[in-house]
Formats: sequence, C-alpha cells, structure tokens
Amino acid sequence: MGEPAISVHELTKRYAAVAALNGLSLHIPSRSIYGLVGPNGAGKTTLIKSIVGALRPTSGSITVLGHDPLRDRWALRRRIGYMPQENALYDDLTTAQNVRFFGSAHMAGDDLDRAVARVLEFVELSSRADARVHTLSGGMRQRVSLACALVHPPDVAILDEPTAGIDPELRRAFWDGFRSLRDGGATVIVSTHQMSEVVECDHVALIRSGSLLLEATPNDLIARSATSVRLWRRNGTTEDHAVDDYRTELPALLHADVERVELLQEPLEDVLLRLIEEPR
Amino acid sequence: MTGRTFAIGGRVIRQIRGDRRFAAAMIIIPILLLLFLKVVFDAMSVPAVVQRRYAVLGVSFVIHFVAFLLTALVVVGERVQGTLGRMFISGYRRLEIVGGYLGAYTIFATIQSALVLVVAHFLFDLNYSIGELGQIFLVLWLLAVLMMSIGILVSNLARNVAQVIPFVPAIVVPALFLSGIVVEVSKLATWAQIVARITPLYYSTQVFESFFTGGSIFGDLWGFLLLPGLAIVVLGFAAMTLREEL
Repeated sequence: MGEPAISVHELTKRYAAVAALNGLSLHIPSRSIYGLVGPNGAGKTTLIKSIVGALRPTSGSITVLGHDPLRDRWALRRRIGYMPQENALYDDLTTAQNVRFFGSAHMAGDDLDRAVARVLEFVELSSRADARVHTLSGGMRQRVSLACALVHPPDVAILDEPTAGIDPELRRAFWDGFRSLRDGGATVIVSTHQMSEVVECDHVALIRSGSLLLEATPNDLIARSATSVRLWRRNGTTEDHAVDDYRTELPALLHADVERVELLQEPLEDVLLRLIEEPR
Repeated sequence: MTGRTFAIGGRVIRQIRGDRRFAAAMIIIPILLLLFLKVVFDAMSVPAVVQRRYAVLGVSFVIHFVAFLLTALVVVGERVQGTLGRMFISGYRRLEIVGGYLGAYTIFATIQSALVLVVAHFLFDLNYSIGELGQIFLVLWLLAVLMMSIGILVSNLARNVAQVIPFVPAIVVPALFLSGIVVEVSKLATWAQIVARITPLYYSTQVFESFFTGGSIFGDLWGFLLLPGLAIVVLGFAAMTLREEL
C-alpha cells in the first residue's frame, strides 16, 4: 500500500440525534481505485462531502493530499475532481459548455480548449459536444458529469455512485476509464452500493450505519468467502460439507459411494452482504 | 477572480439565451402589466399627469418584483439541482459566484428596464427628454441590482423553490402599500413608516418623488446615493452568507 492520499480519523457527523458518520477512520492509498461500499444510507455520501470540504464534520479529522479540506479548500479544489450523485449539470447548455464551465474554474484559453477536447474524448462524447444536455440519455448525462469532474485534470477523483442506473456496457467502460485514470497517476474514489463492483477496486471500505466494517482488497474478501464441498452419491443424492481448506479436509470426506465432487465458493456479493448483516 | 466571474456570468447569459420562453416571459409580463394599468387608468379617467407619475412608479414596482423573484428562484434552483454546490467544489468562490450572477442578470435587467421604459414612454405619453428618461432608467437599474442582491440573500433561507413563495408576498405587499406609491409615507402610522423604510421600493420612490417635483433624481443626492449604498451592503452580505454546504 502506498502513501495515503486521504486519511480520515475518527470522523463523526451528526444531524440532530442521527449519526450519519460514527467515528469512522480509513486510509486511501495514492494511485489506487478505492471503493466506498455499503447499502443506501450507510454514510458514503456524507463521507464524500466531508472529504471534498463541503460538509463540516461534528468531530474527527480528514487530510486530503496533506491538506485540511475545510481550512485549505481553495488550494485543494484545484487538485480534486468531484462527481456528485445527482448529475448537477446545466440542462440548457451543451455538453461542451458544461464541461468548459466547470473547467474554467482552473483554466482558460487554449489550455481549457485542449482539456475539454481531451476529456470529451475520454468519455467518448466528442460527437455530442454540441448537443444540449437535456437531449441526452441518462448514461450520456453521467458521462458529461464525469467529464466535468475530470476536466482540470485532478490528482484525486471523488465519484459518488458514478455507475448507478447505467447499463452494463457503459459500466464496463466507466471502470476501464477509472483504471486508466489510476494508471495515469490519479487516486480514484468510487462509492457504490452495488456489491458486484468490489472486484473492480484495488481496495474497498465496507461501510454500514456510518461505521467502517472493514478495509480490504478484493482478494482479502474472496479469502473470507465460505467454501463448501458437495458430494454426489451414486444414487443421485447429495451431501454438503463446509470446509476451511478443502485440500486437507476433502480426503477424509470421500468414501466409496461418492461419484462426483463439487467445490462451492460463496459469491463475493454474498460475502459482503453477510459481513454487512453480521451483528458487530 | 475576474476571469472566473466572467465565466459564471457568461454561463448564465448562455442559459438565459437557451431558455427563450423564460426570457420572453420576463420581458412580456411587465409590459402586459403596464398595459393593464393603462386600461384601468383610462377607464377611471385618471388625469394624464397622474397617469405619468403612476406609470414610472408602476414600472419601478414591476422591475423590483421581477428582479427579486428571478434571482431568488434561479439561485435556489441551482442549489436544489446541485450545480451551486458543484460550482463551489470546482473551485469557484462566493464573491465570484455572486458577481457572476449579478453581472449576467444586470445585463438582463438593463434590457428589461430599457424595453419596459420605452413601452411606458409611448403608452403613457411620458413626454420626458432623453436625459430625463436616462435618469429614470438609472434608478430602475439600481433598484434591480438591489433587488437581485436581496434575491440572492433570500435564496439562503430556502431549501427548495417552493420555500421562496412565502417571501414573495412578504417582499411585494409591504412594498406596494407602504413604499409611498399608493399613499404618502408620512401619513402612515408610525410603525408602518418604520416598515416602509425596510422596503427598497421606498428609497426609489423617494428619488422619483424628488424627480417629479424638481426634475432631477439628484435633487435629494443623499436619498439617491442610498440606493447604490444599500445595493453594495446587501450584495456584500449576500456574498458572505451564500451557503457553501452541499
């Protein structure tokens, strides 16, 4: 794990009696794809808003690229790109005008022209640059929103549910794009409530009720998946045995009546749901 | 700062141009209101000199109302849509955002005030010289800027567009009845005179009264200077208080 791009320490955010974040701590390594995973209402968006300096936490601290996101927000905002959960675009403007507007917070002239052209190519919307946003499909609007977040271009891209409500093909394209951003040196933070997307991340934080359940790599999570062995008897009946390590335990389970052996691995999605539902 | 303020102003102007129905309504509605006023005055056989007075004050009332409503609704709309928060996260600052809105809507208010004044000139046979019309225009313009600043300020208090609605009668009704358009402020009860001084329209009406009697908006210079003074104070306050939280 490299140097953390973002460190969150004992972060709490309360709205009256409700704690949206409850003493949450985590470290997001530089140049990685970091997934914030959890069900709706887990506190992912509150955490993201705190990281970008748009929300004052009740207690705790955050460091983003060595800066306090509230105190040093103007220095920081040049280096972060934020894609909100809602698209937050100007419907009456064109794709290029939207991207250009958010880019002009940091650039001007030829630099801005080049950046807009580059990012529209990145999200494959160059051909729709002059289309008004209200004429675009939901998936295209997501791409415009992503382009607005990446135009300057940022060292840290913070993307709140970027793949929610888009078709599988576009989702794959998005993840390819996130990997290319990471390979280009950026840190990409992606929140998602879709457990199947965990495998796309380098690291994930599993969040429930404002608390961190665990920080892990997808391989760590796969290692937590329950394995069982299904034995098929000659008479067509089956028997299942939970095993920790099938290689050592399987020989003892075999007997003459066994015709076939099937290894059953708990899907990653089920592992995450089990972890989320487990009482702490 | 200047470049980014222009970027915001340019974006707002492009949006207004993109929404032609809205822009047309904002110009046509004040003109229709003036037309209705003319029809009523004619039916009541109001003398021409009185009609001219009410035409100017009526234009100021309409401009003040539209400028407030337009700005408050647009800023709250941006907040609800998430674009205001996104602007902040993208690196735009409060003063740039307020300056950008104000710049764009001031251009809009300038066109609106000029067109409405031209229509009023012909409809009510205002019979003013170009210089005098210019003076009226200046007061209308300053009033529009002041009301836009109040619109931005009020937008902080509303979480959605519907929450702007209660502010409309709160701003418009006292302005109409207490600002001196309908009845002289000195004839009102003491408490009502205090309320009158809270309404921006009171200050513009005072300036217009000085114009009607002395032929110049600068007759009561301090009274005139109150308008830009108030606009600067309210604008500064609006910029300081514009909520940054998402």
